Amino acid sequence: MTSAPSRRGVLGLTAVLAALPTFRATAAPRRPAAEAAPVADPRHRLWWQAPADEHSMLEQGLPVGNGRLGALASNDPGHELLLVTDATMWTGGLNDTLDADGQFPYGRQDFGSFTLLARLTVDLPDHDLSTVSGYRRTLDLDRGVNGTSYVRSGVTYHREIFASHPDDVIVLHFTQSGGGHYTGTITLEGTHGEQPAVSFGAALANGLRYGAAITAYGSGGRVRVNGPDITFAGCRELTVVLSGGTDYAPDAAAGFRAPSLDPERLARTKVQAAARHSAATLLRTHTADHHALYGRLGLSLGTSSADQRALDTWERLRARARDGVPDPELEAQYLQFGRYLMIAGSRGSLPLNLQGLWLDGNDPDWMGDYHTDINLQMNYWAADRTGLSACFDAFTDYCVAQLPSWTELTRRLFNDSRNRYRNSTGKNAGWTVAISTNPFGGGGWWWHPAGNAWLCNSLYEHYEFTASRDHLEKIYPLLKGACEFWEARLLTMTLPGTAREVLVADSDWSPEHGPLDAKGITYAQELVWTLFGNYCTAAAELKKDAGFAATIAGLRKRLHLPEVSPTTGWLEEWMSPDNLGETTHRHLSPLVGLFPGDRIRPDGSTPADLVEGATALLTARGMESFGWANAWRALCWARLKDADKAYRLVATNLRPSTGGGNGTAFNLFDIYEVEKGRGIFQIDANLGTPAAMIEMLLYSRPGHLELLPALPDAWAAAGSLTGAPVRGGFVVDLHWREGKPTEARIRSTGGRTTTVAHAGSTRTVTLKPGTAVTLRGFGR
Amino acid sequence: MRSSSYFAMPTRALLPARTLLVLALTAIAVPTAHAADAPATNAADTHAVTPTTPAAKPYMGWSSWSMQSSKYPGLNPDGDYSYLTEANVLKQTDALAAKLKKYGYEYVNIDAGWWMDKTWKSGFDGYGRQKPDPVRFPSGMKAVADRIHAKGLKAGIYLPAGLEKGAYGDGKTPVWNAGGCTTGDIVYDDLRTTNGWDSAYKLDFAKPCTSKYIDSQARLIADWGYDFLKLDGVGPGSGKSGDQYDNVADVAAWHRAIADTGRPIHLELSWSLDIGHAADWKKYSQGWRVDTDVECYCNTLVSWENSVDDRWDDTPAWTRHAGPGGWNDLDSLDVGNGQMDGLTKAERQSYATLWAIAKSPLYTGDDLTRLDPYGLSLLTNREVIALNQGPNPPAHPVTPSDPQQVWASKNPDGTYTVALFNLADAPAAVTADWTALGFTGKASVRDLWNHENLGTYRNKVTQALPAHGSRLFTVTPRGTALTYTGYEAESAANTLAGNASVADCSACSNGKKVGNLYLGGKLTFNDVTVARAGTYQIKISYISGDARSVDVSANGGGATRHKLPATGDWGTVASVYVPVTLRAGANTITFDSGTDGYAPDLDRIDVPKS
Repeated sequence: MTSAPSRRGVLGLTAVLAALPTFRATAAPRRPAAEAAPVADPRHRLWWQAPADEHSMLEQGLPVGNGRLGALASNDPGHELLLVTDATMWTGGLNDTLDADGQFPYGRQDFGSFTLLARLTVDLPDHDLSTVSGYRRTLDLDRGVNGTSYVRSGVTYHREIFASHPDDVIVLHFTQSGGGHYTGTITLEGTHGEQPAVSFGAALANGLRYGAAITAYGSGGRVRVNGPDITFAGCRELTVVLSGGTDYAPDAAAGFRAPSLDPERLARTKVQAAARHSAATLLRTHTADHHALYGRLGLSLGTSSADQRALDTWERLRARARDGVPDPELEAQYLQFGRYLMIAGSRGSLPLNLQGLWLDGNDPDWMGDYHTDINLQMNYWAADRTGLSACFDAFTDYCVAQLPSWTELTRRLFNDSRNRYRNSTGKNAGWTVAISTNPFGGGGWWWHPAGNAWLCNSLYEHYEFTASRDHLEKIYPLLKGACEFWEARLLTMTLPGTAREVLVADSDWSPEHGPLDAKGITYAQELVWTLFGNYCTAAAELKKDAGFAATIAGLRKRLHLPEVSPTTGWLEEWMSPDNLGETTHRHLSPLVGLFPGDRIRPDGSTPADLVEGATALLTARGMESFGWANAWRALCWARLKDADKAYRLVATNLRPSTGGGNGTAFNLFDIYEVEKGRGIFQIDANLGTPAAMIEMLLYSRPGHLELLPALPDAWAAAGSLTGAPVRGGFVVDLHWREGKPTEARIRSTGGRTTTVAHAGSTRTVTLKPGTAVTLRGFGR
Repeated sequence: MRSSSYFAMPTRALLPARTLLVLALTAIAVPTAHAADAPATNAADTHAVTPTTPAAKPYMGWSSWSMQSSKYPGLNPDGDYSYLTEANVLKQTDALAAKLKKYGYEYVNIDAGWWMDKTWKSGFDGYGRQKPDPVRFPSGMKAVADRIHAKGLKAGIYLPAGLEKGAYGDGKTPVWNAGGCTTGDIVYDDLRTTNGWDSAYKLDFAKPCTSKYIDSQARLIADWGYDFLKLDGVGPGSGKSGDQYDNVADVAAWHRAIADTGRPIHLELSWSLDIGHAADWKKYSQGWRVDTDVECYCNTLVSWENSVDDRWDDTPAWTRHAGPGGWNDLDSLDVGNGQMDGLTKAERQSYATLWAIAKSPLYTGDDLTRLDPYGLSLLTNREVIALNQGPNPPAHPVTPSDPQQVWASKNPDGTYTVALFNLADAPAAVTADWTALGFTGKASVRDLWNHENLGTYRNKVTQALPAHGSRLFTVTPRGTALTYTGYEAESAANTLAGNASVADCSACSNGKKVGNLYLGGKLTFNDVTVARAGTYQIKISYISGDARSVDVSANGGGATRHKLPATGDWGTVASVYVPVTLRAGANTITFDSGTDGYAPDLDRIDVPKS
């Protein structure tokens, strides 16, 4: 225990930095010059010709968010509705009393649930949808602005809604041209029983305090507080500002609360501070901030036809599916929409949960939680790949902040005699998680022993992309604790039919599939193998814990590595030649070594039978599943360089969802058909599909880069991907024509050397950080 | 489980069904062919002397049934259907006169129950004719008609088809002015029942006494001064079929009996009349209910699903039967008070739009003393009323019966009436393509509900519609007429698959069609040639006795399923337009029933040349 204080000291420093409440006073933002604001570009604009229905907000509402504070907007001319969320607005708590089966309770009170913060409505009785013409609404992905326009009695009305990160508010700006005016009512309501008011504050049953506030100002006419509402009459222009949040703090030691924070008061302060500026200033500040992130990646997948461009986004999706004709600009917009969601939903607060930052009620399926057996990881596969490394930090910070609780729960509860997944070694160390996690250090549903490894591997990939030593320092305790867990858990087994002794994972459930108590499941073996390798590299890089790292390296050598079944010809999922589950099961857990892992590589460096076994298993899993499962399949096919299958899966996810079926909703949210006819929004495919699209264009692992590994015919004519980070610490600008790279500029962001391959030809690039080289002449 | 008006008694258990008896009687305001011989019965009845076609226009007015049938708080305090009283009718008469008469509303129609007491027990006079209930109508029916006439309005009354069981009186009840005929002489010996509720004995018109009974009823209501009769429970229809429920002879007898009274009385038939007898209904009456009750028999007057929205599916088959002299009756137009109606503003506008463009009679069942401002604006929009009452023909779907649909009619002045509907439960954009109206280029658009010229639109107009919403436009073409290339379904150049086969069809172009498109039946038009790639609105001419769906695809691509409205029978051709994306040069277009579906028969397609 003597070493503990020093380690605690490091942790403590991190904890101090991370423990600031996510909703907090911030310095006045820098106001960019007018010319610094990005100009609207139709290529980055999605558009629709109908507003959302109040009861279909998850399919039709348009999302805005500043990384913490989000909303779905209806854009109804006469009845604007914003369903407002704060990423930390959670019921539940530590949830540290196990059920009789040794697993975690999973209810909205004990484990908790993501819930709405508020509803904001702006009623304009004279602007009923049936009385306006030329209705149109847009989502400007580049500027981060949701626009609405329509004509009524010869007057054109405009509305812009945006969630500003610098000002930490949501702004609704109503303007018109042609002599019109606005008369109506603004109402802010809570969704947990609060009375409507221009500001409110209350606490949930778990003690989480929250609050929200609005203000409004106009030109011409009158704006006044009228009882619980704000009324306005005869305004030529109107601005509504909303803020809100909770006293959540990512600090386990403080019970995840910031006791000195008064959320209602802070919300009032924020809206008042913002209201000192014109809407134009707030907009400019926001668009410059948003564009600084959005603009980091450039993407062209080819040119769409004039007929395709003439269609609104929903019609375009429908036409694409109906006619089966690629629409490369739409496909690029779909990728960019995923990036938009990442920027809007993952900055400075909790990471994106199952629904990102967006809700239509207080009872999201699976609590809108963090699922650690694919969904949370998938949410962040696109972040680095699409130039949004900064958005990854919310994921890292979450894991870092949860670690003390995860460690404590593991210590106290994992070896509970009722837990079927307990360590049969009797030893217990480090930390792991449940399949579901909440923001209060708690787990839900079942224990998920290998979840720790997958989280760590995801965090480590961010290091591979960014070469950030600071990041590695930050995640090192997570990696080390996970290794300690597995050191205690691994069992020695004599491999059947051989005399060879191997290490295998104790009894576990290959996620959501097959037998509940299988030893040495492929999922765990692959993840732990990668974890151990990552840890050893990290320890060496940080010059820490050399002795423990040597121990882990030794364990890694003895780990059983999954094999191909002689019966099915598939890579085994369980240590069994038999198919013990559903052939077309949604999860690809046994293929984690193909993606996101690197153990199985179709480049000659991996035994051919292993690649064939993985391919056969992937083939058997099929081409039709839920959105996230299709995205994972597409990523795996991209790794196998099968452009056609990868593209078909992307196209499958782009199919319009009708009647609650799987596919893409009106607002481009991915719909998961949870039961026949009932579709729900799950954000993972919105982020996993873009990751797959990038992976088709650019494969990387540290020290190796491959250009256009799985370029589909639909995108082959000409295109470009610029500003794309790759593993190893480089950023690539890639251009292609007729299926071949024409130019690749490799810039080091910390990486030193990498091979660059295309179609069998390989070059080696060596760079100093900050320098770049441009390669040409591929495919001659 | 929907039945007609008055039989769908929510508390039916209180009363045996056989006690439910109905009868009605009506007078017409619009003069009939006999107008010259029919002196006006009231000085206020200024229309009666105008020599025009009977029912030259869809009638307009008010009916009591919606409020009678509703459980809306306070409407029926003395039990089900108790709203119907003299006092309430006169209150509505006054409100109609004050608020709506100047817009053309003129009929005040008393529906079922005027001869029933509060327990819904019928009363009859000594001649087996319905007798006003003295509690409901203490002044009697004539006095009420007089009061209605005194307001310059017309009075309507109601009767069920057949001899109500309670009027039979062991067959010994004398028939008025019928020389010794009794009720036993007018029904079948086996006392077979008839009408939609089996509440009456079927009249046997082979017997000489029978028509005298109808004469006696007609005389009664004519003497009372009624101008309109709703004859209810009429079959085939009213949920019944077969000889026992064939009331065509009843209707014919009523037609003649009304003429014999010398009083112009508008005869309206109810409910869900059999379209196979459309010719009979047109011959003998001035209007026929094409569908079940619009009322919901619930806590509001109606509801969208029960059953306003049925009309979009059920009306198209009837469209061609509407015209001066007889109209497709879509039932009460309950849009006057959102709270009582149980509808959103958007639903109310759509309801009023469909009724107006389908040329349905426009009679509201609302409480006219409680119209809300929006309801009043819907009921009194002169541009919309003019569509309904003017010379333009009824509109018909020009796109399939998908959740988003477009209805249109070409008007005598060269303009088009175009209605956009969004029947989905969420907002949606709806587009009317000018090519589906037969022209291309520019057109100016006037928004009738909003009294606004929206300007000039090229090739199409798209609007955002709320859930269950609508827009109503007059479109004035400024472009050029479209030319088409026709492709006959039966052409030898096409490919048939599955059961699909060529059949004779006298109504079809070239006398043939392709039918048997079911359970995998497929028709592919090969070599459909266009000069330019793009999305074309192709015109499908088809035959479909009931509404059927078909999957349409081009060049082997993904199919879109469209539900084509019923044409009413298997000998009538109708057409709708569906979008198909074609490439420059030769294309194939496939119509597929689907492996488990039944598709319409196809006559031909016409593909725009540009």
